[in-house]
Amino acid sequence: MMIRNSPTRVRVGAISAVAALALGLSACGSESDSSAATTSDPDEVTGDITLLTPIFEGTEGQKLLEDELLPQFYEEYPNVSVSVDYTTYGNLNEKLTTAAVSGAVPDVMLMGVGWIEGFADRGLIADLSELGLTEEKLLESYTPAIVDAGTWNDGVYAVPIMLDTRFGVARMDLLEEAGYDSPPQNWDELVEMSKALTVRDSDGTLERAGFDMLSLDSRQAFETMLFSAGGDLFNEDDTAPTFNEDPGVDALQLMSDLINVHEVEEIGFSSPDAAVNPLLNGRAAMGIAHNNLWTQGLEAAPEVLDDLEPFVIQGEGEGMFFGGTLATRSATSQSPEAAQAFLEFLASPGPALAANEQRGNVPALSELLDSEYVQSNGFVQFAMENLDVAKREGGPAEWLEVRGDFAPAVEATLLDQMSAEDSLNDLAGLVQTAIDR
Amino acid sequence: MTSTETSPPREDTRPEAARGGPSGPPRQRKYSASERKLRRTGWLMVTPSLLHIGLWTAIPVIATFALGFTDYNVFSPPRWIGLDNYVEIVQDPVFLKATWNTISYTFWTVPVSMMLAMIIAVALNQGLKLQKWYRTAFFLPQVTATVAIAMVWLWIFNPQQGLLNAFLAIFGIPGQAWLADPDWALWAVILVGAWQGIGIKMLIYIAALQNVDESLYEAASMDGASSVRKFFAITVPMLKPATFFVLVISVINAFQVFDQIYVLTDGGPANATTMMTYEVYRSAFQEFRMGMASAQSVVLFIFLLVITLGGRRATREDH
Repeated sequence: MMIRNSPTRVRVGAISAVAALALGLSACGSESDSSAATTSDPDEVTGDITLLTPIFEGTEGQKLLEDELLPQFYEEYPNVSVSVDYTTYGNLNEKLTTAAVSGAVPDVMLMGVGWIEGFADRGLIADLSELGLTEEKLLESYTPAIVDAGTWNDGVYAVPIMLDTRFGVARMDLLEEAGYDSPPQNWDELVEMSKALTVRDSDGTLERAGFDMLSLDSRQAFETMLFSAGGDLFNEDDTAPTFNEDPGVDALQLMSDLINVHEVEEIGFSSPDAAVNPLLNGRAAMGIAHNNLWTQGLEAAPEVLDDLEPFVIQGEGEGMFFGGTLATRSATSQSPEAAQAFLEFLASPGPALAANEQRGNVPALSELLDSEYVQSNGFVQFAMENLDVAKREGGPAEWLEVRGDFAPAVEATLLDQMSAEDSLNDLAGLVQTAIDR
Repeated sequence: MTSTETSPPREDTRPEAARGGPSGPPRQRKYSASERKLRRTGWLMVTPSLLHIGLWTAIPVIATFALGFTDYNVFSPPRWIGLDNYVEIVQDPVFLKATWNTISYTFWTVPVSMMLAMIIAVALNQGLKLQKWYRTAFFLPQVTATVAIAMVWLWIFNPQQGLLNAFLAIFGIPGQAWLADPDWALWAVILVGAWQGIGIKMLIYIAALQNVDESLYEAASMDGASSVRKFFAITVPMLKPATFFVLVISVINAFQVFDQIYVLTDGGPANATTMMTYEVYRSAFQEFRMGMASAQSVVLFIFLLVITLGGRRATREDH
């Protein structure tokens, strides 16, 4: 069963957060003449604003936002009203595109890591530092890599609310049965253990995958392995792809070998939309997983939670990936102060913690490491403790244009249709063309 | 020689001026007050439709053609790039694969579903018990949301818990990863497309069957023709106009397949099931390349135009 914040706890957190925000930003106010939302008297902040959100979805999420969080915000800002437009990450692009074309861009938009650069570059979202939210201020509350996900060309365009992380997970009960007392420490061990843990029946039908990579989006699985190989997606100034260099080729080759040579998993054995993650029902001994596997386990198989051990996939580098959801403000908002006040409210500890709990995600705010939710969720706690080694996707403004091309390229190699090198070189060509366009 | 050619020319009873006769340029016909009123009323009646077509069809179509020559990412004004988008389309292996997939999908779904629809229509036209129930059952997929249908098929195709593999296992046939294996994924999508398309085709055939003269069957029976012979010698030829209509509509619909791809496969694995419409969607909403999406739409439009004109010509020749 999922542990939830009581409304009282959320409210106390939110009020203290807004108070802290007010204190912090009063300092910012002295540095800037601009009328930051939080330096104004909340009673003077007015406006009817819209929120476009891919989180707070479903009945539970909607209830949290409308019954708990919005009333708290209205207590602080009685002259602001918020209309909510719910969507999913799958449809967010379409919503944003049509909003941009029609000129009805929502005042506050929640979007993913890797999206900020493109929308900032195209002028859709505002630099939040214009209203006092500076990078220095954010660095007091977030790790540099997380702050970096919301910046573009020295401007702050987004504030993180939650993180989605991917890392290795091992079923220790199955590992111990096979004589292993810890997850793999390097790629050689990963291959050896995966082979040993793979189980087939007498007909050769795969019953248990030694290492599951197919329950995750293939782009994100590759990125996790790329980071594990010590590679990066792009060069330092994000002007050229580097994922097709040796670490990337090695990572994709390893993924392909695990399937096609070592046969520790088969295409079709699992998928991102599988009803139950194979790590939960014992159909996989190890795998790459999303942090919300813990929450899924709480609901579907609480008895296996003690056996699930997260680990950073070690290669030449450390394989841990983070994405997430960030709050942005429209550059064309008619009520920028109200929009920024609401954005800061959503990113403040109380509401952010509640939103993370609802989705089983990782709070971006460092101070929430000590919260009851984080301490009670093994994967979220592990993710927060290892955020310093996690890397994110994105980089150039064209990331949104090209990220959809990754899955077919990775799949072509996993299906043994193309070599890792050829797939990644072709993909790099497409990406470079988009960057140069 | 057609009957038109052998018919005597009909006398033109219009005034000479109206016929553009030798007396000079035709004069503007003067309408009476009641005729003018009638014309105004006519225009008034069609104005809503004209506005609708103009706003929601003509302008978007013209805009699509124009945007196809631009680099337009929604967030900044379109930039004229001439034929660059079309050059890229021709050189893009993914769009070429999508085109080939679309043709394959159409080639298999349309004839299969047409054939099944005709057989079912003929069977349901025999006065079976529960006829209405069967008609409803066969038509149901047509009026059910494709997304809902696709969700059911996702379960059917599931390699582990799916109905299809469980059924095959009864006969000792090994199951497949239907939607994850590039060798099977397109076939799986074709199966869903063919199944879903049967309903509307069946309905058209049933309507057409009502117009087949019963005396033809009676005469054939008297001549000792078998049911199969009657089907091929009477039913199929008499359904020819309906068949042409169903063919053209089905091909156009098949070329526009999108939602089942969106839900079932996302175009994968490794672009094995991507279609032209799906690439248009990807360009527009995943890559924000509205100019490219417009150019791809124009290519799709040309395909459909050729098919429609071909269908019209075939129908006209048939008549």
